[in-house]
Amino acid sequence: MTTLSATGARRTSPLIVLLHTITFRQARQFVPLVIGIAATVGYRGGTTTVVALVVGVTVLSLVTALITWWRFSYTDGPSSVVVTRGLLSRSERTVPNDRIRGVEVEAPALHRVFGLVRVRIDAAAGGLTRKDHDEELVVDGVTRAEGDRLRISVLTHRSTGAPVADHAEAPEPAEVEFARFDNRWLLYAPLVGSYLALPLAAAGALYRVIDDLRNSLLPQLAGPFLRDPRSLGLLAAVALVLLLVGSVVGAALVNWGFRLVRRGGSLIAVRGLITRRHTELEIDRIRGATVTAGLGMRLVAAARTNALVTGLGDAGRRGQLLPLGPRSEAWRLARRLVEDPGPLTTHPPAARRRRLTRALFPGIVVTVAGLIATAADGWWELLVAGPALVAMGVPAGLGRYAALGHATGPRSFAVRSGWLVQEHALLQRRAVVGWRVRQTLFQRRAGLATVVACVGAGSGGYAAVDLGAGDIAAFTAAASESWAATLSRPAS
Amino acid sequence: MPTLPPPVREPAWPLSRSAIGLWVTEGVLGTLVIGLAAAVFLLVVPASVGGPVPVLRWLLPGLALAYAVLAIGVRPWVRFRVHHWEVTGEAVYTLTGWLTRTWLLVPISRIQTVDVTRGVLQQLFGLASVSVLTASSAGTVHVPHLAVDVAQRVADDLAHRAEQVRDQAT
Repeated sequence: MTTLSATGARRTSPLIVLLHTITFRQARQFVPLVIGIAATVGYRGGTTTVVALVVGVTVLSLVTALITWWRFSYTDGPSSVVVTRGLLSRSERTVPNDRIRGVEVEAPALHRVFGLVRVRIDAAAGGLTRKDHDEELVVDGVTRAEGDRLRISVLTHRSTGAPVADHAEAPEPAEVEFARFDNRWLLYAPLVGSYLALPLAAAGALYRVIDDLRNSLLPQLAGPFLRDPRSLGLLAAVALVLLLVGSVVGAALVNWGFRLVRRGGSLIAVRGLITRRHTELEIDRIRGATVTAGLGMRLVAAARTNALVTGLGDAGRRGQLLPLGPRSEAWRLARRLVEDPGPLTTHPPAARRRRLTRALFPGIVVTVAGLIATAADGWWELLVAGPALVAMGVPAGLGRYAALGHATGPRSFAVRSGWLVQEHALLQRRAVVGWRVRQTLFQRRAGLATVVACVGAGSGGYAAVDLGAGDIAAFTAAASESWAATLSRPAS
Repeated sequence: MPTLPPPVREPAWPLSRSAIGLWVTEGVLGTLVIGLAAAVFLLVVPASVGGPVPVLRWLLPGLALAYAVLAIGVRPWVRFRVHHWEVTGEAVYTLTGWLTRTWLLVPISRIQTVDVTRGVLQQLFGLASVSVLTASSAGTVHVPHLAVDVAQRVADDLAHRAEQVRDQAT
């Protein structure tokens, strides 16, 4: 592969054919068909049929993998990256180097066995296509050395705009460690919704498998066993423990050995136990950071930190600077990237009334419906649920109000909101590409308004909810550049 | 209801007056769809079904009528009074909405693309919309229903100026 010139088309490693054969990567689409055939033919043939099926599927998989490998090539030229593929309809995608926002090198477990990596070249465009996976070039199955060469080549071409000879790589600058994951932090995982969802998803998949087998193979558990309250309680306890352990294991799989280092102008995050991920973020493109913490995480002073990077696809995962950790660590990282504008200003009392009203409203509706139902039908269950909802609404409303805050500093500003998941966003002044002020009928009567800083990074907009209507012009002027004065300056 | 001042100032320029005609047409079309649905309900579901049906037989036509009055008689005029836009030396500024109001300000230096679109109805009324896109999914400015020549002139002017003052900090 080294004999090819820098502009010549390159191929992925032939080993990838083997890997994709094993995993049925391309052949997966035929699986329903094969199952259908198997179902009609039946298993009456015994071993012969099974062997024939296995051989057939493997050959099919080998052929598809071979064709994919044969028709796939990529070129990292001085001005763009081109990926060509497809058997009948050839597709050739060209991504100019100046649109490439980042390169990710990942090594799933099987890839590591073969010494291969998968390179994702992220070329997210403007705001509208953020979720679009087509904005990504995937080169699957190159050697580790070639993967690193591709990453460095693409990133150097982009920053200098000039062709760089393959072998003349600049020596890698010294690394500065920003953060290192402490395995004790994995214990926070059961308090984070997304990690709790991991074992649930696994359980769901397992259930589907068991559901297929149930009639023939599973022992008969139902019956007297499930009616005994003690065994039911035991079952629930076991499920709970499994859930907790599963979330910790899930978090460990994803975040094992997390390390964040600065190398030259980039932040590099490496993590993962089975799949090693290597994400590179350009410091120049960082516009802000968020520190988020759910209800449970706040109880134990834990938080997570994300960087807001312009034009980064899949920002929630790739922008992670600290997937899980103590709040102090999360803040230390965030402050290292963005200047902290100082303590937050609380929002006016009208905002508290509005938060409370909104939190209590569903409970009140249910209570009224319950009153009607009780009077009309004697159906009292709703009447019990209503006041309970109202009672829960009080802490929710007060908590939501307590979360609200904003602050402006000389070079940055901050907004905070959310109760179940609280998000504190620190943003640079230059990050703002627009202001959106929204006022509903109710906000108009309460003298409030919500102002959203439109940012070309992260989720796209960060809101200061229920600001006093009179404070908006001052806040926007202090949090962005001179053009924001248009909001208050009389028409010329 | 106390008349509190708006949170930020209003943009100066109104939309084209033809926009009222377009909104009325939209209201008429919406009313036709809803009226048709209500008529089908009255014809297909007999009152003898019981339950809430007898109430619904009165409620649905009433709601359709109320929608017609609002969408044809009220909303176009309220919208026309609310909607305003402005292009200043530094920014594009709009105010839209009729119950919930939204002010949107985007500096010309952060504009990425400018689009002019003409829908089918808009063509009937000689109108066009200008959309200004930025790097943020939340920061897209729509200036609806301008006269075609105005829209084209504004779009050209904005694209030209954005080219000149664009800074790298998207």
